[in-house]
Amino acid sequence: MIFSRELWIEIGHTVIANPLRTALTGLSVGLGIFILVVMQGLGFGLQNGVQQDFGDEASNSLWIRTNRTTLPFRGRQANRSIELRNADKEILTEKLFETPLHSARRMLWGSTIQAENEEGRFAVVGVNEDYDQLESIPLVSGRWLHQEDVAQSAKVCVIGQTIVDDLFKKKNPIGEYIRLRNVTFRVIGTFSRSGSRWTNSMALIPITTLQRVFEGADQVGRVIVSTGDRTVEEASAMASMADGALRTRHAVHPDDQRAVRVEDNNEEFAMYQRIFMGIRLFIWVIGGFTLFAGAIGVANIMSIVVKERTVEIGVRKALGATSSSIVILIVVEAIALTSISGILGMIAGVLTLEFVAPFAEHDYFSNPAVNLNVTITALGVLVLSGALSGLAPALRAVRIRPIEALRYE
Amino acid sequence: MLSLRSIEKSYPLAGGQLPVLKGIDLIIEQGEMVAIMGSSGSGKSTLLNVLGLLDNFDAGSYHLDDVDMSELSERQAARYRSRFLGFVFQSFNLIAFKSALENVALPLFYQKIPRRERQKRALAMLERMGIADRAHHLPSELSGGQKQRVAMARALITTPRVILADEPTGALDSVTSNEVMDVLREVNSTGITVIIVTHEADIAARCDRTIRLKDGRIIEDGNSSEVVEPTAHGISPIS
Ligand SMILES: Nc1ncnc2c1ncn2[C@@H]1O[C@H](COP(=O)(O)OP(=O)(O)OP(=O)(O)O)[C@@H](O)[C@H]1O
Ligand SMILES: [Mg+2]
Repeated sequence: MIFSRELWIEIGHTVIANPLRTALTGLSVGLGIFILVVMQGLGFGLQNGVQQDFGDEASNSLWIRTNRTTLPFRGRQANRSIELRNADKEILTEKLFETPLHSARRMLWGSTIQAENEEGRFAVVGVNEDYDQLESIPLVSGRWLHQEDVAQSAKVCVIGQTIVDDLFKKKNPIGEYIRLRNVTFRVIGTFSRSGSRWTNSMALIPITTLQRVFEGADQVGRVIVSTGDRTVEEASAMASMADGALRTRHAVHPDDQRAVRVEDNNEEFAMYQRIFMGIRLFIWVIGGFTLFAGAIGVANIMSIVVKERTVEIGVRKALGATSSSIVILIVVEAIALTSISGILGMIAGVLTLEFVAPFAEHDYFSNPAVNLNVTITALGVLVLSGALSGLAPALRAVRIRPIEALRYE
Repeated sequence: MLSLRSIEKSYPLAGGQLPVLKGIDLIIEQGEMVAIMGSSGSGKSTLLNVLGLLDNFDAGSYHLDDVDMSELSERQAARYRSRFLGFVFQSFNLIAFKSALENVALPLFYQKIPRRERQKRALAMLERMGIADRAHHLPSELSGGQKQRVAMARALITTPRVILADEPTGALDSVTSNEVMDVLREVNSTGITVIIVTHEADIAARCDRTIRLKDGRIIEDGNSSEVVEPTAHGISPIS
């Protein structure tokens, strides 16, 4: 019965014949969904933006760096240079704790890089093979550094998109030889992180190669270690462990903030998570109220509509309509009206986001995608409330005797 | 055959009950044309609504072709209304947003007759009523007489056994009233029972049999030419 063509023709008829009511229902549902979709989209965009800004680094890592001391300690002067060396990294990653990924990162700024015809100044960066994962850098072509490259101090490099564009133009750089600080390296891969010129201006080489070829020393620059699947608390404990160990090894005052620094991305990430939670909660609350208002609107209209149609219900009954056929008519009509308006609202919302997105691209706002699950749930809620709010007065109207309906004023 | 026995009905009233039908005994044979008369408030409409299964009753029995109507479920009552009964109201009760044609076709929707067939039969019925040219007009675009013709077409489209008309001419002028009566007479000539509630002696005079109600009782029942006689019973000429 619900799917009979006859019923739909009958419904189409009443829907078209009552434009004001149709428009009002459509508006309260469509607008509700529209607002919800746009709010969701904007919230999602905000979250996306913040996350992208943050997502340059994997969220579960510690960044360990050192600098000159600011406090004297154990008979040593302040302003003493503290350097992280191979031995430090080894102690951290092999003795102190378990870590699935770790890398050094030593940067040589303003390094001249020459290709066949072009040259430019970029950063040569010594890293371990895990670096790309710790920084989640997308590979474009070729391959990343392997463990063997690091073990053998191979003269290979993975270069960023800016270097590719500047030195190679349209040419494929893979397998080509370039000169980094006058030493020849083979290009094995290229990478690109959208929007980050800084990252894209780096030529990554094995840390061992950097130490041997360019410095003849064993500094590692920074040490990045993954905290694996540790909880925030466990990661925090790991960070203090690293911090304590380095301070002991290098005789750094416990209060010296600059000499040894261990940044825990987990904590930062947890903070962002809380912000996201806040944003999401906000969206839910707003969305909830919008839905609630929409549902009340629909319920109101439906109950008025059914009241208005009481005489018509009486007439239909006199003409042989059963109560159930009338209830089905009204409920299916309510469902059809609310779902069509809801879908229109959804489409309008999606189009608005599509239209707005290019204008709103910002560090903290990107890709305001529509959460389809949420939207469909919201639509479901509105359709259900439309159906229920049609059902209640329809049941009331058909329960009375036909003559009462006919006499209804 | 319609058969009423000791039908009683009262309406709930503040502080008690208002008896409206106080023991109606009535038999109407198939094919009769009957007028129900009586002063305002005498229970005419109530009686007609009971006959039409639009309203219930408190006591007594009502048989339609030997089927006890008080036993019917809601669904069965709807089926009886659909198959056996046709209604014509004083206020037409056309569905405002449906065209004349769609109004006439609607009862067939509830008999699950295909749309094409419905439309064809509805158009034929409008033709029979002489208003086929108004088929696609909305009720608001029709005159009172035209509306009542649409309403009659709608009542007749299912070829019911009984037409129940509550003051079908009450809202019409005398010329139009006569035309409506012409239609109802013609309908009756095809064997359909016609029961008309009316205030007007002229209308009753065009029926074969007239029943007069007073205070919820039948006080007269007979040949229209005898019952309607205005002087004998002091009927008010005002409707
Ligand atoms: N739904 C109702 N509730 C209470 N009382 C009612 C109801 N319908 C009718 N009545 C009362 O029942 C009595 C009979 O009403 P009914 O409509 O049958 O009279 P009638 O003979 O058709 O009158 P009229 O010629 O004015 O149409 C009247 O006194 C009326 O006030
Ligand atoms: Mg009446």
